[in-house]
Amino acid sequence: MSMYIFLIGIIIMSYSMVTAKRMTSLIASFRMQSLFLFLATFFMAMKEKSVELYIVAGLLLLLKVVLIPKFLSDIVKKVKMEEGIGLFLNPLVSLLIAVFLTYISYIFTTRVIIFEADAQALSFSASLSVTMIGLFIMIFRMKALSQVIGFLVMENGLFLVASAVSGGMPFFVEIAIFMDVFVSVVIFGIFIYRINKLFTHIDVSRLNTLRR
Amino acid sequence: MNILFILITPFILAVLPGVVKKSKTLGILNAIGYLFVLLCSLWLILKPGLSVSPFKLFYIDELSVFFIFTISIVTFAAALFSIDYIERDIDSLLISRNKARAYYTFFNIFSLSMFFVPMVKNLALVWVAIEMTTLASAFLVGFYNTKASIEAAWKYIMVCSVGIIFALFGTIVFYYASSSVGVKNLNWADMVSVSRGMDKNLVKIAFLFILVGYGTKAGLAPMHTWLPDAHSQAISPISALLSGVLLKTAIYVILRFTIITNECAGGDFSSKLFIIFALISLGVSAGFIIIQKQMKRLLAYSSIEHVGVIFLGFGFGGAIGLYGALFHVLNHAITKSLMFFGAANIIKKYKKDNMNIIKGVISSMPFTGAMFILGMFALTGMPPFSIFFSELLILMAGLGSGLYLASGLYLFFIALIFGGILFHFSKVLFGSKPDGMEDAKEGVSVKVVFVFLFILMAVLGLVMPGFLNKIIVSSVAILEGA
Repeated sequence: MSMYIFLIGIIIMSYSMVTAKRMTSLIASFRMQSLFLFLATFFMAMKEKSVELYIVAGLLLLLKVVLIPKFLSDIVKKVKMEEGIGLFLNPLVSLLIAVFLTYISYIFTTRVIIFEADAQALSFSASLSVTMIGLFIMIFRMKALSQVIGFLVMENGLFLVASAVSGGMPFFVEIAIFMDVFVSVVIFGIFIYRINKLFTHIDVSRLNTLRR
Repeated sequence: MNILFILITPFILAVLPGVVKKSKTLGILNAIGYLFVLLCSLWLILKPGLSVSPFKLFYIDELSVFFIFTISIVTFAAALFSIDYIERDIDSLLISRNKARAYYTFFNIFSLSMFFVPMVKNLALVWVAIEMTTLASAFLVGFYNTKASIEAAWKYIMVCSVGIIFALFGTIVFYYASSSVGVKNLNWADMVSVSRGMDKNLVKIAFLFILVGYGTKAGLAPMHTWLPDAHSQAISPISALLSGVLLKTAIYVILRFTIITNECAGGDFSSKLFIIFALISLGVSAGFIIIQKQMKRLLAYSSIEHVGVIFLGFGFGGAIGLYGALFHVLNHAITKSLMFFGAANIIKKYKKDNMNIIKGVISSMPFTGAMFILGMFALTGMPPFSIFFSELLILMAGLGSGLYLASGLYLFFIALIFGGILFHFSKVLFGSKPDGMEDAKEGVSVKVVFVFLFILMAVLGLVMPGFLNKIIVSSVAILEGA
């Protein structure tokens, strides 16, 4: 039962990211989502009494709840950007689209992939919708930083997909992917600093030196 | 053992800039290192009975060896070309000496991650290696720190990261499919052995995500949007690496998944997808080549074309099509590197990249000009160069399997691109050189690079060395699921 609460938390946090108007609230929602993801993994670890899952949960807590949000908030402070996240679509329309994406994921899961257990199908469709909402944030938010958060949300969704369908990937694969995501975010950050220095803004829709 | 040498050499070279301060020495050591890597990979080909590796992490069969060989040729050429290129950049104050050292570090991390891809056994670690290639090369794309190059790097890193997320999704679904028939480790060989038992629909969905995801990295249209920017803005030796081999590593991964998919769901599904994406790539690249103004961008679009040709070969299938496609992987890597090096010399000399302004390359830089014109004919598929033969094989495969429409479109686009490239490059090559421009003198190392690539390009068009033939034939057998 607790599993469903976490799942709902994760989905609600993605809706709250879609409707967020300011960068700080976007990062806060991302941190909350990662926290729910951590709790879900932690409970799974308790249920299965698996040391490996405890380690994965610990890494999740360290990287996605503590370090990465901290790093992102530092960027917000240092590049002194205006608070807006560059809405391409207004929050209400975005929310409608996000709900629709959730619906599509559910249809896709129930029609196309046949799962043995209902619970599995439910968590698969939830995680798929989180992934798609992440993609939505990447495409329809115009600040470089919000694109990074979109990427992270997609990755959160995929983490959930993996644990939904098969109880997680092999242990060392999870670790490798965590490291990879962390390195990616650091490098994204370096590029955001450079963009800010050269262009004096980090609005991706205004990056148009290159044509055709 | 030589697998280890191939991996350790770039690793040592990557930390070397911390010790060696002089950039020219670094460049020379770098080139020597990659010559050693090339010899190691040659030995890997020649040594019979290689498939067992002493380490659990690796899985090396003929298909991997073929890609390792291709990567080692281009990395060697790029390392050799870098020596002179970087020195000239330092002399013209484009980059500082410290930055030159950083260049060699990133060059080696980038190569290391590319060598990793065809060696790793676990498909999720392959994914990690592919993401590492993106991250390492992003710094080299944004190397000059100009507005254009940083924009290109950002676009590159973002588009490819989305692609790679799709690929991870595909990998997870493959994992689910294989774990439901008992294989829970993501090792390629184990997954192939149970592929017949996997759920067909699941595998098809997963493969679609794999193709779109890694296809983004491979430069298939319509996911190619990052490619022209990144390839044209990257520092030129790196453009050759990006175009020549980075795209091929992504193709390699797609092939690994294709083998599983074909075993499970039959070859028809992947073939159709390959042909569709290949024809879109050919069409898109033909259009953009014709209206192109910048030389490096034109070469970037030509890479999309050749990736299309390669996928068309895999799509047409049959022993001939697969052989042609693999051969084309090697040929394109060689020829495109030569063209990027030529373009690099020309752009350095004229200090601009616009093909409407550059004129008289043949008379102002006879050596580069001659190589460029030969490379141009090779790239557009003229005999007796190697690309002609691989493209011919692919055409034969298409006609042989009765796909007349696809073969016809293939010929049509190739002809269009031939015309476009000839039109643009002849403007650049011929005509009188600008007043007061001195004749160029290329350094010895630069000339060696061109001659090395030219010989490969010409010899492979005339004779097929036995060892290469053998490795390609074995790779074809692996692709056919033998």
